[in-house]
Amino acid sequence: MSKELKNITNNIMDQIHEKKIKMKPRAYFIAGSILTFMGLVSSVVASVFLVGLIRFSMRSHGPMASYKLDQILSSFPWWIPILAIIGLIAGIWLLRKYDFSFKVNFKMVIIGFVLAIVVGGWIIDSIGLNDALIRRGPLQGIMRQCMQDNNTQGGQRCSPAGWGRNREN
Amino acid sequence: MSDTLKLTDEEIVAKVRSDDRDLYAVIIERYKNKLLRYATNLVYDDDRASHVVQDSLVKAYINLNGFNTKKKFSSWIYRIVHNEAMNVIKKYQKEIPILDDFDFESDEDIAKDFEQKETTEHVEKCLKSIPLIYSEPLSLYYLDKKSYDEISDILRIPMGTVATRISRAKKLMKHICQKN
Repeated sequence: MSKELKNITNNIMDQIHEKKIKMKPRAYFIAGSILTFMGLVSSVVASVFLVGLIRFSMRSHGPMASYKLDQILSSFPWWIPILAIIGLIAGIWLLRKYDFSFKVNFKMVIIGFVLAIVVGGWIIDSIGLNDALIRRGPLQGIMRQCMQDNNTQGGQRCSPAGWGRNREN
Repeated sequence: MSDTLKLTDEEIVAKVRSDDRDLYAVIIERYKNKLLRYATNLVYDDDRASHVVQDSLVKAYINLNGFNTKKKFSSWIYRIVHNEAMNVIKKYQKEIPILDDFDFESDEDIAKDFEQKETTEHVEKCLKSIPLIYSEPLSLYYLDKKSYDEISDILRIPMGTVATRISRAKKLMKHICQKN
């Protein structure tokens, strides 16, 4: 055994008495837990919303048969799926930070997570929550920009009401 | 003092957190030898292992308010040592000695009985010759007497993986160490 280890108790206790090392306050850990949880929730919410936004963007081009694949590819907002993937990765990373994550089958957690986001995005889009968001939500600017772009490029509308109409046209 | 010795780790931690900082010395005394053996099995160097243990105990004290007293303190402190040791392994990756040539220094505190001590030494030597992902759960299970559940907590891997790794480690030990 090294001499250092024999003195380890004295070394550490001296540092404690001299206040060279101090315990972090409980509030620090409470704040950390809250922020981690908020980060997890916001990354899930952002991912759900971005799935909804992707569906919205695809529908705003009109009926499937009426436009070509290259048109979709050229006008598709690729930053949205990239952001969604980043959101997913961030969410999964945060999830792994939680104590319980290693206790369960992580593949199932990821599959459940992705399914929840896709289904959540589809439901939000279907019930028309996007309508509310486009009028007064935080992504109002993005949606408006999309509408303007579509108006100038193809003359097609992607107004909230137009989402449904475009599908029917 | 005798009352203190009867207290569980978690009860001592609760007292340290509330007002009695001196009780942290009891925690250090309880764990320093066990942690040193564990750290030595990970970093293969006594001095580095001492540093790992000391740094881990300091970190544990600093973050003591983050410990959930409903959980096992031993799993928590072993986890901190594991993380510290992994940092050291990454830092000195190229310098870690070749395992077969490593001359193990015996530790008188490991086992009182000579036969047991010899067996322990042999096992520890063999442990060094198998990959870390297998040797670590095996040493936790047999040398530190940890349950699968505790090993799962320390290594942050599912219990099924713990069982698989221990089983593979035993096969590797049989294959490698019975030759010697």
